[in-house]
Amino acid sequence: MNLIGISINHRTAPIELREAVHLSTDEITELTIILKEEIFTDGFILSTCNRTEIFGYPKKNFLNASEIIDQLLKFKPVKNIANSNFNKYFNCSAVKHLFMVASGIDSLIIGDSQILGQTKEAFQLSEDLSFTGTILKRLADTTIKVGRRAIKETNVSEGAVSVSYAAVQVVEKIFADLSTKSALVIGAGETGELAATHLFDKGVSRLAISNRTLSKANALASKLKADVVSFERLAENLHQFDIIFSATSADGFVIQQDVVKNAMRKRRGSPIVLMDIAVPRDIDPASRELENVFYNDIDSLNIIVSQNLKKREEEIPLVQNIIMDEMINFFSWFNTLDVVPAIKIVREFFEEMGSDELSKIKNKISEDDYLKVEDMTRRLIGRLLHNPIVKLRELAETGTNLQDAASHSLMIKTLFNLNGADKTKLNENSNED
Amino acid sequence: MLETIHFLNTALPLFYLATFIVYFLDFKKQKKTLHNSKRIFLFLSLLFHLFYLLSRTFEFSHVPITNKFEIFTILAFSIACSYFLLELFSDIRGTGVFILGFSVLFQIASSLFIEDLIEVREVLRSPLLGIHVFSALLGFAGLTMAAVYGVLFQLLYKRIKLNTFGIFFEKLPSLETLEKLNFYSVIIGFILLGIAIGIGVIWLPVAFPDYSYLDPKLVSTLLVWIVFGIGIFMKIVIGWYGKKVINFFLVGYTIALLSMFLSNVLAKSFHSFY
Repeated sequence: MNLIGISINHRTAPIELREAVHLSTDEITELTIILKEEIFTDGFILSTCNRTEIFGYPKKNFLNASEIIDQLLKFKPVKNIANSNFNKYFNCSAVKHLFMVASGIDSLIIGDSQILGQTKEAFQLSEDLSFTGTILKRLADTTIKVGRRAIKETNVSEGAVSVSYAAVQVVEKIFADLSTKSALVIGAGETGELAATHLFDKGVSRLAISNRTLSKANALASKLKADVVSFERLAENLHQFDIIFSATSADGFVIQQDVVKNAMRKRRGSPIVLMDIAVPRDIDPASRELENVFYNDIDSLNIIVSQNLKKREEEIPLVQNIIMDEMINFFSWFNTLDVVPAIKIVREFFEEMGSDELSKIKNKISEDDYLKVEDMTRRLIGRLLHNPIVKLRELAETGTNLQDAASHSLMIKTLFNLNGADKTKLNENSNED
Repeated sequence: MLETIHFLNTALPLFYLATFIVYFLDFKKQKKTLHNSKRIFLFLSLLFHLFYLLSRTFEFSHVPITNKFEIFTILAFSIACSYFLLELFSDIRGTGVFILGFSVLFQIASSLFIEDLIEVREVLRSPLLGIHVFSALLGFAGLTMAAVYGVLFQLLYKRIKLNTFGIFFEKLPSLETLEKLNFYSVIIGFILLGIAIGIGVIWLPVAFPDYSYLDPKLVSTLLVWIVFGIGIFMKIVIGWYGKKVINFFLVGYTIALLSMFLSNVLAKSFHSFY
């Protein structure tokens, strides 16, 4: 197996360099055409905000990974990038790396499940561009399988690992069914938008946005089919909402404790969740002293995030077991590829020898007797070949070393003298007899 | 039959203990394999327990309610069975470890001290008494479960308020769900206790010539029933929720425990059979 590849990722390069080599779908398409012409028979390119990976089967026997880097940098020149910013992989290590990427344990945030979808898309694009052969297709299927198994069989992707998602996790520990709850997001910046999107995805019954700049609130509200609450009239509308996320860049508190107190009075004590994900804080932390008011700020939410990350890290050995399982399966399959031609040649050789001998007696015995001998010959060949073929397959499937399968195939061919010229010679000798 | 009864008497605490351990491991580790198999453990324990109770009833010609330790085994069964049904219908599986511990304790106490009683007072052979006791015990099992959910609610409430996100935060269902489970358990307990009181009131004059409606056990049970009735009324009609209603039911359960202790241990009652 000659799979070879390069990877630039969060471990090898700073964000500026990763951004600089990032490839859009159009760029991947263009580069694929170049790679196909220049160095690879088949392969694929995966490019996300955190990594760019190029893998493939080289046209020539010995390809230096630096040539792939050269092709990439020729296509997308980047200043100050060095060879050391790329990891290089070959054969087993390449397969293992791909499995690690798809399972999320090589991601910046361990267990990131988005990478599996991105890997799937990368393989799909490669197939659409007719850049995949049998082995790469099988590799793609196994890689996706590893990613799916990691998600299904381990907890590597469990738990919130972003502050806004951790906030949603806390909300879900208070309310059983978010579809019956209303939510207000104060602040329409990046963090506010992320929080609003999470709440929208969770299906809150009513979502509202409030922002000092009304146009921004309107823009986000129309995107998420939300209402807009006037920033100036926040205090009088607060009681209408069960969940309040605040993520503004205001210097002082946007919501004071007495505002919350009033809202609670109007809500007749019904629980309210206040998620202050702004720095500096937007909501007076003294609000948490009120009965049925659940207040969280960035610090408390970060506790959840770090706990979840730690738990994900603890799942890595389980994912590695899955990777090892699938590597064994993949290479077992791959090794059988090498013995298939050998099995075919041996079988053909025996069948040819059988029919040759049969033709010699065809006119010397009755038709009935001939049929019996023919049947016996066929069964005899079958029985003679059964054990060697089964054994050869077994050796190929259990051997993780490519050389194992190859040497056994070679041994069989040598024993029966089965390369093209010898085979002809053998046949000739047999005819003379 | 007697050998089977003796075997099950020894095996039942082990069955419940095994079930409890599986629920505990699932709560702690949350393994996907245990998540589904623990329910099978509980179901099988209940099946064996039911068979054990029926065997005792037929073998000794009376419902096993004639002494404290027979009552304990029924209590263990009632609690586990009520939890099983609640888990089955609500599909909330993370709280069993807190409930099933009671079944383990009651069954161990029962298995250690239960005796093979053939001779019992004639009054204890009445099928009406069987229904009366069963419904009363199931009612108390419901109220016990409500109390457990109430305590879990308080634990989770405090942890969320204080931002201490440990195992309880992670493994328990939401506050709203715990409140719901608490309320369902109270409703079940209230209805069954109501049935027990109703049957008791009808059957009492027939069974006991020296009965009195002012008997401490009757009065205390009625008091508990009324307290829970008020709680249910406040929640449904007045709109109490959250901590307030949970605390009210916890106070109700404390009254239930106290009244049971006082009426059983301190007061003299005709309503005592052993």
